[in-house]
Amino acid sequence: MTAPVLEVRGLSVSFGGLRAIDNVSFAVARNRVTTVIGPNGAGKSTLFNLISGAVPAAGGKVLIDGTDHTGHTPNHLQAAGLARSFQITNLFFELTVAENLRLAAQILEPMRMALRPVTASRVALARVDELLERFDLTEKRAMPVSKLSHGEQRRLEVAVALAGKPKILLLDEPTQGMSHGDTADTAHLIKSLASDVTVLLIEHDIGLVMSLSDTVIVMHQGRKLAEGTPEAVRGNPDVQSAYFGHA
Amino acid sequence: MVDALTRSMRASHILVAILVVASLIFAVIGVANGDTFYLRLGTEALIFAGLALSVDILLGYTGLLSLGQALYFGLGAYVSALVLMVTPSFWAATGAALGVAMVVGAVGGFIANRVRGVYFALITFGMAQVAAKVVYNTRALGASDGLIGVPIIQINFGFAAISSASPAGFFLFTLAFIVILYAFAAYLLDTPFGRLLIALKANERRVPFLGYDTVTPRLLAYMIAAVIAALSGALYPMLRGFVSPELLFFSTSGNAVITVVTGGVGTLVGALYGGILLTLLKSVVGSYTEHHLVVIGVLFMGAVIFLPRGLMGIVRPAIERMLARRMKS
Ligand SMILES: Nc1ncnc2c1ncn2[C@@H]1O[C@H](COP(=O)(O)OP(=O)(O)OP(=O)(O)O)[C@@H](O)[C@H]1O
Ligand SMILES: [Mg+2]
Repeated sequence: MTAPVLEVRGLSVSFGGLRAIDNVSFAVARNRVTTVIGPNGAGKSTLFNLISGAVPAAGGKVLIDGTDHTGHTPNHLQAAGLARSFQITNLFFELTVAENLRLAAQILEPMRMALRPVTASRVALARVDELLERFDLTEKRAMPVSKLSHGEQRRLEVAVALAGKPKILLLDEPTQGMSHGDTADTAHLIKSLASDVTVLLIEHDIGLVMSLSDTVIVMHQGRKLAEGTPEAVRGNPDVQSAYFGHA
Repeated sequence: MVDALTRSMRASHILVAILVVASLIFAVIGVANGDTFYLRLGTEALIFAGLALSVDILLGYTGLLSLGQALYFGLGAYVSALVLMVTPSFWAATGAALGVAMVVGAVGGFIANRVRGVYFALITFGMAQVAAKVVYNTRALGASDGLIGVPIIQINFGFAAISSASPAGFFLFTLAFIVILYAFAAYLLDTPFGRLLIALKANERRVPFLGYDTVTPRLLAYMIAAVIAALSGALYPMLRGFVSPELLFFSTSGNAVITVVTGGVGTLVGALYGGILLTLLKSVVGSYTEHHLVVIGVLFMGAVIFLPRGLMGIVRPAIERMLARRMKS
């Protein structure tokens, strides 16, 4: 049996007295979409922060392809093939759309290109064009990110995370604040990613979660409440009382 | 396909070319009139423009405000003076300044880069103050008098030589020297390495998630700025024949920041125009009143209020638009 592409074991962290993540374990299957759901403050983003090295974990392990990457910094995790996007758009706002992507794609170039003119980075520049096309941002390529609409910024947030060709992509509420049309487009895009990337997604839109996910993980008060197929999770009585219940 | 950042850099190149042409005309007029004063003042302006250039690499491209860049300028000047008093070789003096600046820059960068923002500014300020006090109190370095009697040198290129005492010759040499420092900085800043510095300035917290370490590039930027400041400083004793502790004082660091802000932060060329403007102003205003610092202070405030993007912040975008049109057609 091959190791799961991403596995977390007993992850924990506390902020003050609050156990924001409490002994969470799960494994993520390769080239599938696994979605983390849960009410506001359940600890979903904190879970991503621990996995991506943004916040050091107090306990537990993070394994990528069976190798221990616990406590590694975000840049080392990126090198191991793990990239993430942010719930609150986190881009280079004063730089252009294309430059944001180029910065993220530059990692595909060998080190020796670092001291050549940027125009010589053909691999990175080709990747930029490809992503602009795929995320429908070609016409905005020369625009500063600060001038984009909210929906466009959210799309770029995902594109930047994807630019370095990660094998594991963590997306924190990519559709947050998007219009219905944009949300549907983004869902379609995420689905298409899963042919060659393992996606771990945080999403609030239940319809989208049901249609998109292979596996759903339910978080509640820092704990993993349930894990299973969308149907199984929807039918779980604990989940219904904790999450769907109050609807 | 040339992007906006490369295009801005090219606009800076054009403005540097204009400055070079103006300087050549200035030199010709100077020689024709048998001038010494203005040629030497121009040389001094260029030397301080080199210091300002190093400040802009940090402030305009890496997002680090150094209030102690005089540390490296003074270091370069003292090392150069000491070497020249032993052996009057330009190459030995600048080579030594370069080497010492790399080592001291690595140590200083290691210390200063542990913090950000206003704390970085305060640490760079503090390090320069300590260095100035040490020099001020060290007998072997001439203490408060500085080092006097740095000999006139022949800068030897093998096929020709320039005397540091020749007003026009040394002015043109300094012009070439500072333009080379500019070209070096401009080249580096338009590579992926340089763009990484720009990314650090724009949003440092996202950079690690793109797969880059942030400590090393910031340290390298600091060391590059240290080297450029020191190499500029190394020319100072060749021009003036002495060095004094004032070169390390806060007024020198502060003036360099004022130069960059007036000239245009994040343009490189702004440091050059700003350096010339400020030196000229100091000299002209200084000949009318002793309170030239007051006048400079008021002008600086005016510049910040009315030209928040500096001189080049106004001029350069026009050239960028021209380049953009040219590329389309
Ligand atoms: N750096 C931090 N310091 C202190 N408390 C934190 C920190 N990060 C998160 N928390 C707290 O941890 C809890 C979980 O927050 P988290 O952002 O992970 O929730 P979430 O599930 O992503 O919620 P949402 O759906 O609103 O995004 C919250 O109570 C939050 O206030
Ligand atoms: Mg969240």
